[in-house]
Amino acid sequence: MRSAGPIKTDDLWFRYARRGPWTLRAVNVSVRPGETVVVLGRNGAGKSTLLQLAAGVLTPVRGTVRHRPRVVGWVPERFPADQPFTTRQYLSRMAEIRGICDHTVVDAWIERLLLTEHTGTRLADLSKGTAQKVGLAQALLDPPGLLVLDEPWEGLDAVARTLIPQIVAEVTEAGGMVLVSDHRGEITNLPDATHWRVENAEVHETPAPHQIAKPEPDEVIVEVAVRRTDADRAVVHLRAAGHRVLAVRDPAAPRTPEVPR
Amino acid sequence: MSALVRMRLAGFTRGGRALPPLIAFLVVLAVIYGGGASPAAAAYGYSAAALFPVLAWQTKLVLDTEPDVQRRLARVAAGARREAVAGLLTATLLALAVCVLAMGTPWLFTAIDTTKDPVGGTLLGILAHLLAVPPAVALGALASRAVTRSALVGVSVLVVSTVLVVILGLSGSFAPWLVPPVMATARDLNGDTVPPAATLLLLCVWALAWCAVALTGYGRLRRTLS
Repeated sequence: MRSAGPIKTDDLWFRYARRGPWTLRAVNVSVRPGETVVVLGRNGAGKSTLLQLAAGVLTPVRGTVRHRPRVVGWVPERFPADQPFTTRQYLSRMAEIRGICDHTVVDAWIERLLLTEHTGTRLADLSKGTAQKVGLAQALLDPPGLLVLDEPWEGLDAVARTLIPQIVAEVTEAGGMVLVSDHRGEITNLPDATHWRVENAEVHETPAPHQIAKPEPDEVIVEVAVRRTDADRAVVHLRAAGHRVLAVRDPAAPRTPEVPR
Repeated sequence: MSALVRMRLAGFTRGGRALPPLIAFLVVLAVIYGGGASPAAAAYGYSAAALFPVLAWQTKLVLDTEPDVQRRLARVAAGARREAVAGLLTATLLALAVCVLAMGTPWLFTAIDTTKDPVGGTLLGILAHLLAVPPAVALGALASRAVTRSALVGVSVLVVSTVLVVILGLSGSFAPWLVPPVMATARDLNGDTVPPAATLLLLCVWALAWCAVALTGYGRLRRTLS
């Protein structure tokens, strides 16, 4: 177990400017060890703010966040790629900042997130999706007691997106907590998650939206295997041919089929 | 914390942001030593005063090199206090390196008058530079983007504060204690005799007290802003 108890917000208030409107008001929520919470809401509702308060990136104007675990992994919505380091240099330095001297940890995440061919590439030259994977890797170098994912699917390809539910499951199974924001309906990847909705600067627990799409009565399911690298193209072609693609499944993550965009 | 300091040093030196303050530093040296050899104490007193704005500017550049989101990632990885202290430490190390260059370079061009107590003058010069570094770092930190949020406000804080350091530091100023004793140190080192120990002690206490206030403010602002 990586955290002593549930992380809890006590009457949390936050605004960005002294006289500005409240972004979040009187937030009283908690996350239990082993729990995954999906934070829903429209753009600008305050999802990222809530996540950053939970991660300790932002300091609340009023109220406190209690029992935040010692190790927090935060994946920002946009990875800051404007830095003069290569992928490996960056991840090695972030590992050292977390007190990890064993570079096999870095290598393991580079391999798992399919970053091997980009280790010598400067961060500024990475594609958006690859940079996002680097952002994901830095958050996981030290097994987090709290993993905060801000729109983690943004820019990722179909194969990489299947890794996220798998990683989330690993963190929660080890007793960690996961907070993940989503405004694109990717939440079907996390079927056991609790759902919060941020609306009018308030946070409420909501019922889970409908799960993975099912075939219509006059349809059958044809299972097709394609190469990982061709997955995105295959989805596009099948849709162009008038077929409905219900899910993309990676054998490495059999429990968590993904609904492609 | 040393890993974060190393990462920030690498980010600053590799990114090319070190070049503008380096050029300013060379201009300052050329102006101070271009007129011929001077006694060590007087030359170093002026050097410390002239370098003060360069060191403050360099500190702001060091602290602003990292993208805001990366600074927040460092905060999550290392903790808020360590992240803030690592930034100050990085800036201090770079400022000390500039001071070493500033004190060593004139010897290469025989710009120090060796007939007038070069050893005593050099020791006083070291003290003058050491008294300039902490206030410069503190001022640069207060002008950094993490505190001011915008480039315009940051540059304004830096420029206005530097001008105030000069104006309020002039002889006969109505409130010299509002600013660090950069000008006062230069004046005391420009005399014909070595300043008394009590004067040097007062300068040290004055500089440290000013830094304590400025850095306390910086710490409080960093706790509430990110």
